[in-house]
Amino acid sequence: MRASVHRPPTPDADEDREPEPTLQEIINIKLIESGEKERLKELLRERLIECGWRDDLKAQCRAFTRKKGRANITLDELVRSITPKGRAMVPDNVKAELLQRIRSFLTTDPS
Amino acid sequence: MGSKNFEHREHEHRENRRDDASRLVPCEHLAEYRARNGSESLRVLQRCVKTEASGRACIKREAKEVPRCGSCSRARGRLYACVVCGTIGCWSPPDALHARTHAQDNPGHGIAVDIERAELFCCFCGDQVYDVDFDRAIIAARADVLRRETEERRRNAGDVGDNLKKNVGSGCGRDGCGDFGAGSRTVSGLVVSSPCGGEVGNSHESRKRRRSIEYKPWVASGQEQLGLKQSSTPLNDGKKLPAGLRGLNNLGNTCFMNSVLQALLHTPPLRNYFLSDRHNQAMCQRGDAQLCLGCDMDIIFTAAFSGDRTPYSPANFLYSWWRYASNLAGYEQQDAHEFFISLVSGIHDEGGTTSSCKTTRSGDDNCHCKVHRVFSGLLRSDVTCTVCDLTSTTYDPCVDISLDLEPDFGTEKGFSESIIHAEHGGRTSRAASSASGASSLLGCLDRFTRPERLGANEKSFCERCQTRQESIKQMSIRKVPLVLCFHIKRFDFTRNQPKKLDRYVQFPLFLDLLPYMSSSIVRLRHGNRLLSVSGDASNLPPSQSPSEFELFAVVTHSGKLDSGHYVSFLRLNKCWYKCDDAWITRVTEDYVRASQAYMLYYVQKTLFYKASDTARPPMGG
Repeated sequence: MRASVHRPPTPDADEDREPEPTLQEIINIKLIESGEKERLKELLRERLIECGWRDDLKAQCRAFTRKKGRANITLDELVRSITPKGRAMVPDNVKAELLQRIRSFLTTDPS
Repeated sequence: MGSKNFEHREHEHRENRRDDASRLVPCEHLAEYRARNGSESLRVLQRCVKTEASGRACIKREAKEVPRCGSCSRARGRLYACVVCGTIGCWSPPDALHARTHAQDNPGHGIAVDIERAELFCCFCGDQVYDVDFDRAIIAARADVLRRETEERRRNAGDVGDNLKKNVGSGCGRDGCGDFGAGSRTVSGLVVSSPCGGEVGNSHESRKRRRSIEYKPWVASGQEQLGLKQSSTPLNDGKKLPAGLRGLNNLGNTCFMNSVLQALLHTPPLRNYFLSDRHNQAMCQRGDAQLCLGCDMDIIFTAAFSGDRTPYSPANFLYSWWRYASNLAGYEQQDAHEFFISLVSGIHDEGGTTSSCKTTRSGDDNCHCKVHRVFSGLLRSDVTCTVCDLTSTTYDPCVDISLDLEPDFGTEKGFSESIIHAEHGGRTSRAASSASGASSLLGCLDRFTRPERLGANEKSFCERCQTRQESIKQMSIRKVPLVLCFHIKRFDFTRNQPKKLDRYVQFPLFLDLLPYMSSSIVRLRHGNRLLSVSGDASNLPPSQSPSEFELFAVVTHSGKLDSGHYVSFLRLNKCWYKCDDAWITRVTEDYVRASQAYMLYYVQKTLFYKASDTARPPMGG
């Protein structure tokens, strides 16, 4: 059978070339480069401490560690199990404030 | 390396390494790294570390630099830099573990450091690991920053006089400041990272404010305004003397009692309690016939604050106290500290309030009787086995802190002790390095909280070794009371003839106990990480819990061990008054400073009031 000339091009040999950077990644790079990420982190830290989130999460981590036993826990496990809880516990106003900061950074950023 | 083989080894590593409370047992890979490169290789990482005021550390990087994984250019999530070659690898389970790939491809490159958190990471074990030398590097980096900050601050403030090196002992001694900024903490390797140090601005203040109750201003209602108008009498502002200042007659060698009573009369929480009639004699449950030291105290408070300035004779109180502490009764001279302890127990036992005091042990942390609410604190004692590094912790309530005087300086014991401190991750004791002759409260506190090697005949039982081992003990203050009483042990019973130690002890007007609290001391032991002290229910971050104190009363002693005289000094309305039994005179601050302190009373600078206090019984009539 004749090979079709219109078949799609063969995939590139370097299959493990990284895919196009996602929007998230682009924004992340921009934030780091301008130093805004550090400032945002400081702000977030302050807000989360103020509203008691950090203390609550610390208590959660401790409870989890106690349950598993200190000898049986790894950093990855802890992070994996606590992260969803932590994310859910962030108060809405904190989320809103951070989002607003990021939004204004992106709109006023010249590039 | 086949995956099955690898997993088995990984599991084995976990078993070996993560023993309870033993953070210093390195994993196989860390041990190998140390063997190959030496401990110095981890210490030099100090150059790469940048620390924040709060003690948080991260790896330095250029302003615009975006750290990316060497394999996949990922810039999010946890990134680890190999400590040997600096290659960055990401760690995003389950698929992208490029830090491990790097370690597998390059033998000897198994240890990496978290870029954002400055924590060591073993790429094979896949978990954080800890190393004493690395911790020291972090602490040293922090010390550098502190030192530079305070030098700058001093330069800006135009400070003249003592340079940093001389400012050992209590803090700035000029002008009654007594404050010790971060400067005095950086001398000779002292590296306490106080989150309060150097941090200004809104974030710090708002954090401090978070836990206190919001202030609600009060405005008088119609009825109340009427009451105010009708029942108020104007204060006699011609009077210059502060309220409550009144001499106490000596009833026969009772200066020990008078001096402590004067201090208690002006202990703010206690004074407020009695003056707001919280202990009402009419309502007192104990009744007339029984002994109630609370009622007797109430009578004394009433007498002292009545406005009458003629000296008062606390005869009834003395009699009541004799009945309570019958072994100390009589007209011989007594020890003021002993009296204080006895009185605290007495009010606790025979206080006769509505609280359920009877059911709690004396000195129990949660005792709600007035004296314990004011004076009761909690001390933490950590005993670490020198063989297996297991630490056992106990908490003991206390109503005061008795401090030993520092030993004579320049002796071998002093120097070898300071070496032990350095090894145990502690700070160099100021006591060992300060000049001979001078002693200070802070030096005594340093001594109190230093890691002390218990002698060979004081071996304590270690749970892990299951045998008696030599151990290192370290005390710290877990919970500070509202009012802290320091007792300086001025007696030396080691010789044939017990003698009194007359050495002058310098004491500050303002005292920050943060470096002596368990949170700071335990943190130092763990490489200055922001840890929560294990096992505590109420977790105040260090910058929150009250640790600043101010001096309001000093009880001094002059004379010999078995015969002498007690005089107390009170600080009222920012003036110092000398209370020598019935004679009250105003004195200068320097006069007080030069006195021989025996007991020092400090009150928290800002008193937080609990939102819901125990309800007091309704007033009759």
